[in-house]
Amino acid sequence: MLRIAALFAAAALGAHAQSAPFAKPVASYDIQAALDAKSHTITGQETLTWLNDSPDTVPALRFHLYMNAFRSTQSTFFRESGGQLRGDQFKGDDWGYIKVRSMRLQGGADLTSAIRFIQPDDNNADDRTVIEVALPQPVKPGETIRLDIAFTTKLPMIFARTGFHGDHHLVGQWFPKIGVWETAGFRYSTAGAWNCHQFHANSEFFANYGDYRVNLTVPTNYVIGATGEQTRRTDDKGKGTSTYTFEQRSVTDFAWTAQPSYLREERLFQADRETTAAEVAAAAKLHGIPEADVRLSDVRMIALVQPEHREQTERHFRSLRAALKGFGLAYGRYPFKTITVVDPPYGAGGAGGMEYPTFITAGTTYHLPEDSLLLEMVTVHEFGHQFWMQLVASNEFEESWLDEGFNTYSTGAIMDRVFGPSTLPFMFYGRNLWSDLKLPRISQESADRAIHLITPRRDDLVRRAWEYYDGSSYSASSYSRTGVTLRTMEALLGKDTMDRVMRTYHQRWRFRHPTSRDFQKVVNEVSGRNMDWFFDQFVFGKRKLDYAVGTVICDRVNTARGFLGADDALKLVTKKTADGTDDKQDKDKNFKPEYASTVKLERRGDAVVPVDIVIRFTDGHVHRSTWDGVYRWHKLKFQRRAEVESVVIDPQHKYQLDASYANNSWRKDYNSRLSASWGSAFLFWFQNLLLTLTAIA
Amino acid sequence: MQTINVLTSAFHRAAARKRMIVFYWFFHTLCAALAALPVLGIAIPQLSHSDYGAELMKQFDIAAIAELISTAGEAGSPAGIAILLSALLALAGATFLAGGCVKLLVRDEVPYSPAEFWEGCGRYFWRFLRLALYFLVPYLLLLALHSGLIRAIAKHYEPGIVELPVIYANRTVRVLILLLAGLTATAADLAKVHLVVTDSRKSLRAFLGSLRLVITRPMTVFPVWLLLALLLSAATALYLAAMHRLGILLILFLAQQIYIFFRILLRMTSWAAAAEIDTLLRPLPPEPVPVPVPVASEPPAFEAGAQQDFTI
Repeated sequence: MLRIAALFAAAALGAHAQSAPFAKPVASYDIQAALDAKSHTITGQETLTWLNDSPDTVPALRFHLYMNAFRSTQSTFFRESGGQLRGDQFKGDDWGYIKVRSMRLQGGADLTSAIRFIQPDDNNADDRTVIEVALPQPVKPGETIRLDIAFTTKLPMIFARTGFHGDHHLVGQWFPKIGVWETAGFRYSTAGAWNCHQFHANSEFFANYGDYRVNLTVPTNYVIGATGEQTRRTDDKGKGTSTYTFEQRSVTDFAWTAQPSYLREERLFQADRETTAAEVAAAAKLHGIPEADVRLSDVRMIALVQPEHREQTERHFRSLRAALKGFGLAYGRYPFKTITVVDPPYGAGGAGGMEYPTFITAGTTYHLPEDSLLLEMVTVHEFGHQFWMQLVASNEFEESWLDEGFNTYSTGAIMDRVFGPSTLPFMFYGRNLWSDLKLPRISQESADRAIHLITPRRDDLVRRAWEYYDGSSYSASSYSRTGVTLRTMEALLGKDTMDRVMRTYHQRWRFRHPTSRDFQKVVNEVSGRNMDWFFDQFVFGKRKLDYAVGTVICDRVNTARGFLGADDALKLVTKKTADGTDDKQDKDKNFKPEYASTVKLERRGDAVVPVDIVIRFTDGHVHRSTWDGVYRWHKLKFQRRAEVESVVIDPQHKYQLDASYANNSWRKDYNSRLSASWGSAFLFWFQNLLLTLTAIA
Repeated sequence: MQTINVLTSAFHRAAARKRMIVFYWFFHTLCAALAALPVLGIAIPQLSHSDYGAELMKQFDIAAIAELISTAGEAGSPAGIAILLSALLALAGATFLAGGCVKLLVRDEVPYSPAEFWEGCGRYFWRFLRLALYFLVPYLLLLALHSGLIRAIAKHYEPGIVELPVIYANRTVRVLILLLAGLTATAADLAKVHLVVTDSRKSLRAFLGSLRLVITRPMTVFPVWLLLALLLSAATALYLAAMHRLGILLILFLAQQIYIFFRILLRMTSWAAAAEIDTLLRPLPPEPVPVPVPVASEPPAFEAGAQQDFTI
């Protein structure tokens, strides 16, 4: 451990001389692990250095044993997921597990016999993903303890993030990992307690920062990649193995991969070449900070690509470049020296699309068309988690929207700006039918809104990951609906303000553990507006937003009848006289009749927001106003020598959360071109469908 | 050469039945309209007086589909039922019309008349319906075969980490299944034709006989199907290439309907080609030549009052 401390001290002085400070290490690991590639088993020994960074006295420790989620069908993960995740199914008998062979306090007691399995979330006695170890002596405030833990991890078949497939190994959530001690006032805690959830179907991370030094021993013919920088390699020719040392400070986890046939490519992200002076100056001006604080760092990009995806190698680097630049300029420079992207092979798709500190997995298929941006989207998204998960380490178990959703929002902005909308890969003998049929391309913004609309709103955005109505509600809320919610907030605050909000939030909470309420505070502070109403309805609530143009009535004002004039000079205008006057006016081509117009607007959802209204008249007059949206309806009356031509609520589509854009506007003219166009299209496609069907008749 | 001759002759037979083609088009268009109207009934009222409709005309947004589905609410179910009913109607109606079409394509010497056409529709409806049900069996078997082979390929390559062989294997399976489906469709056409030619009610026999024919004489029937399939593919490619260049809605609509007419013409040609092939492969037995039969001697004239002798 002394060697590690010396190493990190040196690094702090020289190699990491960047403006961004690193985190205070709370849970640091020194791990020796050897992979038996035949049995897909890892034999490991870790030394955990844990700092009690709280004013509490901690009597026991809790650890995650994530890999036991794959131990049997009785685990909480299996019960919740049914043995499938993101479309990948567990098959066969390649179960996984982790066994703690021994646990000992350095220079102290053997704790192995004190280990007991606990189930803090669901009391499922068969779940063995969390252990508690009572200590002979409690850990005092500020005290550091060191534990030596020997463990064996058997990898499962890959279907949910981690495991093996053939000779491909993606090793994540694989070692005994200590939970997070939350003292009173830390996040939502009111009293000191462990935050160490069981492994659920829809949850991934929450951990303290720490410094990692990991020695990985694998067969020499394996190509390896891992979190952090590779600092050393030694070969044992007798055993045919090689040992690689990876080091990384200020991260929350460590993952690695090994496969003999990987193509390993490296490129350098040269910050000065990738960003222009104008871009740096613009960002500095927007955020009111020195340009030096905006400038990015050089980063070594490593791609481990499948040989059959060789032609897509540069697409991985292009995506990483866009992400390093996009996220870096928006939120702050990426402070690490490397980023490794892994392309999982065929059959290991379950390992794709995952994020670990400085190490991500993407996903592609053979001959993925250039205009289908699946690879780019996944790579940019997973890289984005370096900012929303790793650098800002919110609790994904309890507030998944803070990383998955924030990242969806950030990814969407970069994807739509840099790459544009995408096709879907509907491949047919090497042709992408989506492109050939010239079907409309899909932007991230549009895709998120589609998912938001199609998924019933059954949950608030903020819930514990395993307490959502179902998997699709978790997914929609944590990803797309959050994206739509944040874009709505952006439209309300203005893009520049929102950019400042996001950067401030990121910078303030970098290397820390914020909550949803912390973000809310930043929004209110930076925007200078009280946005609690927005959070109450759309983040901590599940209100439906739907404003609609109800009815528009334009009645011509005819000549008045009856007794008119002052009481002392009453004049009777009869129906005949009035009709005569009207008839005369009708014949006069220059006469402009007066119309009494009534516009009724409706609030059809339970969300209450202020909405902009634009009403245009046939004479070119435009009425603009704002409705507070509180009452169920709002009536506007006009008397003008022109009819209402159109009515629009929220003309700029600020509220992407709106359940219907169609009912947001009304226009006097019937859009006959739409009817004809869609009518002929629908008819044509149904004709084709029926002709195909009746081919069997 | 024989294939070209068969197709040329079949095309002429089909093209000569213009009114039949128009009627077939009209029926399918009616069914398509029945399916399309409820869907349009949901979409158009929402959008025809909305700026969003105009926005979508300029640049279609995929989220609009989600919006329509989510706001359709209870109207979605009747639309779904209408689509299902129109599909069933189209199936029944197409079976009915096939009788008249095949009859007039087989007997091309008979001039078209509504009476002849409807007579064929009614006469062969139940036979063709039984035939269609019998042919469901090979089609379902093909589906099962496809599914089984795809699964077998997945299982075979499951331990591997390379996708390319899986892609090639799947492509091969799809080609194989497509060819078998083509042969099955040709067998169905031949069976219909044979029922008309022989005026038989034995649909099962026609089904089995036609399957046997395509299996034993694939090189005669298969090229015809292949050429028809290529013609359809070419027309589809031509339409797809042209559809985004046809800026004027009316011209686009006309192009769409020409494409539909072409599909129907190909179907008629396919039946007519089956008639040609049937003549080649299953010629009717020659008309029996009357054989002179020796005339028996006239029995003795029966005379009233005469007594017949019953003794042996």
